[in-house]
Amino acid sequence: MAPFIHLHTASAYSLRYGTAFPDALARRAAEHGMDMLALTDRDGLYGAIKHVQACHDRGITPIVGVDLVLRDGHAVSVPGSGKRGGNGEPRRIVVLARSDGWATLCRLVTAAHRLGERGEPYVTPETVAEHAVGTAGIGAGIGGGGSRLTVLLGPRSDVGRAVAERRDDRARALLDAWRSAVPDVVVEVTDLYGYRDVNTATRMLGLAYSMGVPAVLTNDVRYLDAADHQVGNVLDAARRLVPLHPRHVDHPTAHAYLKDGREMARVVLRICGGDLDLAERLLGETRRVAERCALDPVEIVPLLDAENPRLHLPEIGEDPVPLLRRRCEDGLRRRGLSRPGSARTADARGRLAAELAIIEKKRLSGYFITVADITDLIRSMGVRCAIRGSGAGSLVNYLIGIGDVDPLEHGLLMERFLSEGRRGLPDIDVDVESARRLDCYRAILGRYGETGVACVSMMETYRARSAIRDVGAAMGLPPHEIDVIAKAFPHVRAGQIRAALSDLPELRDSGLNDRSLETVFRLAERLDGLPRHIALHPCGVLIGNSTLRDRTPVERSMLDFPMSQFDKDDVEQAGLLKLDVLGVRMQSAMAYSLREIERVDGRKIDLDSVPRDDRDTYDLIRTGRTLGCFQIESPGQRELVAKLEPRTMHDLIVDISLFRPGPVNSDMVTPYLEARHGFREPDYPHEKLREPLRETHGVVVFHEQVLRVVDVMTGCGLSEAEKARRALGTPDGREAVRAWFVPLARGSGFAPDVVERAWRVLDAFGGFGFCKAHAAAFALPTYQSAWLKRHHAAAFFAGVLTHEPGMYPGRVILDEARQCGVDILPLDVNHSGGTWLAERTPATGHSETGHAGIGRGYGLRVPFSAVKGVSEAEVERMAAGQPYTSLADFWERARPSRPITERIVAVGGLDALHGLRPGEPRWRPGELTRRDLIAQVGALDRASGRGTAGQLPMGFTERVVPGELPEMSEAEAVEAELAILGMDVSRHVIGFHDELLDAIGVTRSRDLLRRRNGAEILVAGAKVATQTPAVRSGQRVIFTTLDDSTGPIDLTFFESVQAHTAATVFGSWLLVAKGVVRRTGARAVSLRALSCWNLLDLDRLWRDHGIDAVRAVLSEAPAPPDAAGAGVGGRSIEYANGYRLSPYSDIGPAPGVREGRFLRHPEEPQRRLWHASSGSSGPTPSAR
Amino acid sequence: MSKLYGDPIEVWSRGGQPVQFVWRDRLYTIREVQDHWVVAREWWKTSDNDPGERRFWRVAAATGREVGTYELRFDTAGGVWLLLRAWD
Repeated sequence: MAPFIHLHTASAYSLRYGTAFPDALARRAAEHGMDMLALTDRDGLYGAIKHVQACHDRGITPIVGVDLVLRDGHAVSVPGSGKRGGNGEPRRIVVLARSDGWATLCRLVTAAHRLGERGEPYVTPETVAEHAVGTAGIGAGIGGGGSRLTVLLGPRSDVGRAVAERRDDRARALLDAWRSAVPDVVVEVTDLYGYRDVNTATRMLGLAYSMGVPAVLTNDVRYLDAADHQVGNVLDAARRLVPLHPRHVDHPTAHAYLKDGREMARVVLRICGGDLDLAERLLGETRRVAERCALDPVEIVPLLDAENPRLHLPEIGEDPVPLLRRRCEDGLRRRGLSRPGSARTADARGRLAAELAIIEKKRLSGYFITVADITDLIRSMGVRCAIRGSGAGSLVNYLIGIGDVDPLEHGLLMERFLSEGRRGLPDIDVDVESARRLDCYRAILGRYGETGVACVSMMETYRARSAIRDVGAAMGLPPHEIDVIAKAFPHVRAGQIRAALSDLPELRDSGLNDRSLETVFRLAERLDGLPRHIALHPCGVLIGNSTLRDRTPVERSMLDFPMSQFDKDDVEQAGLLKLDVLGVRMQSAMAYSLREIERVDGRKIDLDSVPRDDRDTYDLIRTGRTLGCFQIESPGQRELVAKLEPRTMHDLIVDISLFRPGPVNSDMVTPYLEARHGFREPDYPHEKLREPLRETHGVVVFHEQVLRVVDVMTGCGLSEAEKARRALGTPDGREAVRAWFVPLARGSGFAPDVVERAWRVLDAFGGFGFCKAHAAAFALPTYQSAWLKRHHAAAFFAGVLTHEPGMYPGRVILDEARQCGVDILPLDVNHSGGTWLAERTPATGHSETGHAGIGRGYGLRVPFSAVKGVSEAEVERMAAGQPYTSLADFWERARPSRPITERIVAVGGLDALHGLRPGEPRWRPGELTRRDLIAQVGALDRASGRGTAGQLPMGFTERVVPGELPEMSEAEAVEAELAILGMDVSRHVIGFHDELLDAIGVTRSRDLLRRRNGAEILVAGAKVATQTPAVRSGQRVIFTTLDDSTGPIDLTFFESVQAHTAATVFGSWLLVAKGVVRRTGARAVSLRALSCWNLLDLDRLWRDHGIDAVRAVLSEAPAPPDAAGAGVGGRSIEYANGYRLSPYSDIGPAPGVREGRFLRHPEEPQRRLWHASSGSSGPTPSAR
Repeated sequence: MSKLYGDPIEVWSRGGQPVQFVWRDRLYTIREVQDHWVVAREWWKTSDNDPGERRFWRVAAATGREVGTYELRFDTAGGVWLLLRAWD
């Protein structure tokens, strides 16, 4: 007998419902010997592409449908039909695409989302009927009463409910209405062994056969195995936002799993009461329905046909091939590459011909035209726009103005971007100003119309914190407790929860290892990776033609953009072209800086045409003064640029390529630096390899070099070489490439030892190289940001502070501005703006040497928006109402809320207006103080009766006697600045501890270079950044940067000291640390930390018990690690290329601690004051 | 009307189906299974990882000439059979 076919299967892409991924379901179906499998996810086709691929891989035929909410059922009049029976659960139907119905199904899903609220799609019988018989959309004209959809009416449908409620007349009437509306309706019977399930199924079967309607058997699958039902229960509760209770679970039994044929035979016998003929008829009809719905995988996923994928391309309106050729010709002239006889022109002509040949062969001319139109459109809006990624390697992109990087000048290759051997579609990525990204999307939609454009979506999946939140809520834990538990965890995968509890010192002692939480953690781990929410992808835009809606279902995003239900991988597999339009904050920051320069100095600067060889700019970079600059501001990069000393754009490209986990850890940096500075002769395996390797002194840094080396040695051509390069990432791939490379290279006449040496170079670095085109695209904004910093420091910092592009919090940038000589101007109601403003200030003091004076003559004004809790409307009113004559005037016209007004007074926003100054003496009889003014805010508030019930008569104002209250001390003023603005504006916070720090003999940053290597010293400062990056040893190493107002101090905490330091490092802001001096370069020092303390603890100890008590604490030896093991546990992750990584690298501390919200000291400000890395930038582990 | 009992009973099964049981010292032979369903236990209320499920059978059974309807329950975790109700 033919195998059973599951026609109703939900995967994990049924959000907060399904539990199994499409691939696992297809694999299980194949193991059960099934030849077909349907995927019918709830509310969308989110998993459809993955299902079709998985079925194709497993050699089974895919069927795709959707499980949708049904509303406004047929109006059937039978006695008693008025009342809505049963529980409040919505009715659901399953709609399958018939073999020619994929486009119709896509359109139906789009229509369902258009009908419903966001996230709550539904259909009515009319919508289904319109689509099924082709009166809606593209189906029109098929005629003949044929149907492209099959509707399954199961136990959750209106018909099924009526049967379960024993209202047989109503059920009959409903089924009759369905049958006359939709040509292909079948009844779906299901028995999950629940109470009365089998009874309902038997009666539904009876109803179907009595009316001559076919019936199918399904298992309403949502689990792979019966044991998954607990996860299902949790998801049911999480979806409904209620605690677990038998009333809240969809399936009271564990039977909704992908049963095999034998188990389904038992089910069918139960339903048919042992009647074998009936059973055979039911199974036979199930198969017939399935066969009508068999889909051709290649039609849905064109890229399964690698040879000749059918792509979905935008319409240009004319033949795109000559159009692109013409545009490229124009480009040659515009870029100065059309001078007859010049070598560059000849190069360009040859390259252009080769690129066009590939583009035309792949029929992608229209794509390039469209992308160029879009980048023109974006620039015409005045939005900064730069190409990124491998697309910078294409001359066509340069010529038609998509990008501004000349690939010939930098030796970039097109093959890295688009080659004959490359499967899939090219990806052009452009960076735009982050603040204008959505404007760009709107413009694209406006230009190409809603029907041909959609944004790409992405699935947010369960991770440790979200899983704990949902499971905790389902288990009925109090919300406050859930919050504390979830925030205690770092950003790890949900599957790592229990491992993290035992591995991380700061969690081991947290008391979360309690047995009572065991079930919560166990279940939370089971949610690992399940999709929970669909969101707009940060950059992908699909550009198609008017039939795009036949290829992908579309829903509305949160911001009301049309959004495909497919993610970026699905989109590519489906043969749809996308353009990545990424919002980059640095582009916004630079655009802002340029506007500030124009506003303050009246100079209009075209940043794209400033000289790219400015000596002063490179001097700034070479000395590591790169805080705030794009890509090169991290502690590690500051160290690298100081060692590498870039002098040209090319040096910057190399620098960016080298600063990646792979090159840093496989030690490519050292041989490069040695050869660059002439300590070592560059090593070329063969004279012929000198040319490709010369730019990096014999070290392979770029993908492009790998391609050239392979090509030179084997003569295989760059396209083939690109294929080989991609294979170098895994050990198996390297073996295969070696087996191919060595004989070919020997055959080309290279000596065995040369081949061996060349292979060693490829083997060591090939997998780690970086795409030079990508680095070149990055190097331009890097240089531009450094140029702005060097020549227009105040405007540059205004942009950086306003758009926050970098890794550092505002107070660090502000301190850098201060060190560059920029005056920091306090909040002032008459001078502050909505955002950070540059101002001219009298250039005071002597002229400084070095870079300390680059910002002199300018100030930075703290804006209203920096005030904690201020609303946009308040900011607008405050800026619009300037100038103000008094607090009362400000209060009256700008109408800020009382707490905001109080905060503005507390940080000195009215100092200038009322002639106030914080500091000694605190008691100033007859003189107004900030505190008096705050009291006056209260009086104004009461007088205006705003927000209070007991209104005072008009005209009455309380009199505040000047000097009645004491003035704030300087320390209090800085404390208020930290709490309200998140930064110490008037002076550096560490200054208040100078006395203690001097008493215990702390070394300051500026004196570090004078300490000998190996010396054990004390340092102190405010924490600027903590990072736990990938390092070679596979340890979790904590890198912390402190700032003590004289410069940065870099500390390294190895695992051996983390047992007694991790909690303090992550949990405190002002730190004292003991460490050993390590000289890392001529001008670079870092400390290997031994111990650390919270400065505020020491400060209190000092005040209460004196300096000896502090000294005693500082000289205490750390407690020996307990038997449970010190430091960080966890097996390190081994990557295919042999590179090891701690499972907690790049993850670091518990986020609550990290974001400065979880502070142990009430006097520490509750704002984010330092940077901590999150997310991983390491290579992805090979899938093995 | 049914009567509620909840008495532990001894049951003989064949092929996963109960065929005979002893209740209050009398042997009952099952003539027909009228209904069978399962209910998963409320695992979130227990500390067990998997408290199993409860399987219910509604059967027509005879002892001698008297035929009645009985509801039997099997607890997979404890391996215990109960006679829940009787219509006799």
